Amino acid sequence: MTSHSDRGSFFRSAKFTDWPTVKEALIAREIGAAFILAPMAMQLKADGVPIKIVYLGHRDGTAIVVGSDSHIRDFADLRGKTIAIPSRYANQNLLMHKMMRQWNMPADSIELREVPPPEHPSALRSGSIDGYIVGEPFAAQSEVDGYGRVLYHTKDIWPDFISCVLVVHEGLIAEDREIVQELVDGIAKSGKWLDADMAHRMDAAEIAAEHFYFQDPELLKFVLSKPVDRVKYTHLAPLKADFDEIMELAVDIGILDGPIAFEEYVDDSFVRPLESMDWNMDRLPRGGEGP
Amino acid sequence: MKSKILTGALAWLLAISGLHVTLNVGWGELWHDVQVMLGSARRTLVAGFLPVT
Repeated sequence: MTSHSDRGSFFRSAKFTDWPTVKEALIAREIGAAFILAPMAMQLKADGVPIKIVYLGHRDGTAIVVGSDSHIRDFADLRGKTIAIPSRYANQNLLMHKMMRQWNMPADSIELREVPPPEHPSALRSGSIDGYIVGEPFAAQSEVDGYGRVLYHTKDIWPDFISCVLVVHEGLIAEDREIVQELVDGIAKSGKWLDADMAHRMDAAEIAAEHFYFQDPELLKFVLSKPVDRVKYTHLAPLKADFDEIMELAVDIGILDGPIAFEEYVDDSFVRPLESMDWNMDRLPRGGEGP
Repeated sequence: MKSKILTGALAWLLAISGLHVTLNVGWGELWHDVQVMLGSARRTLVAGFLPVT
């Protein structure tokens, strides 16, 4: 693992525990880029924060989880229940509203409660909520620990679901397009490597658990393999059709005051076909081979 | 007397600056920033994230 690109640019990650602090760090330019919730990125742009979505972090990787011994078998059974969401600006919130419409349920038929993602599993375990919808690995955590059951994976109810997007400060785009391009290329190539081989995913789980997430590697291995398409790391270009749907839902349920033009908050000029990138996927070391 | 005060102030300034770099910045980071300013190195990009997909 290195902290620099092939061209010598240095990249560092900064771990946050809540979304408002990420927002402040972006505004203050303490960080040049961040992975944030898609509707939140739209809202920040609407608020005048100079950022652009340049790429996606992943696709899918979210689930609706209920208690393992609960009688909830389908979405209609959630009527009258309390379900935790990560934030009102999360696409998970939009998905719950989209599902309520599909099942002809009024918008207030499920109580949606904002709970920080790491607290979702413990809230379910304590019985203070009936279920939750959140990104991995917190969906899998209660499943692995035996008290949660996945009701739906997003891949089955909103295929190619978008949760987190990569946003970059417009100042950085103006000053140093090259480093943004390197970051986007790096994510694209890492995603291709991850989706190419299950062994790569297992290696990535070890690395992420030790150096970034500080979570049990077995939990991350579960997330990346049970099932294998639980979360995907390819097809990460920000597409207008996807974002139009998110925008329409967000405006409809009052998360956004009004629509914003796609070009206002997305800069897809950094997206390049993977085939055009010069990168030897096989040179990465495998377990025990050393750097 | 005047030179002693100046020397003392300079020593204090160097000591407090050195302590600040050691505790808050890091000598490696500082050296990298100097190289970026001189155009001999590329900048560091910091990306924020929450440990959730």
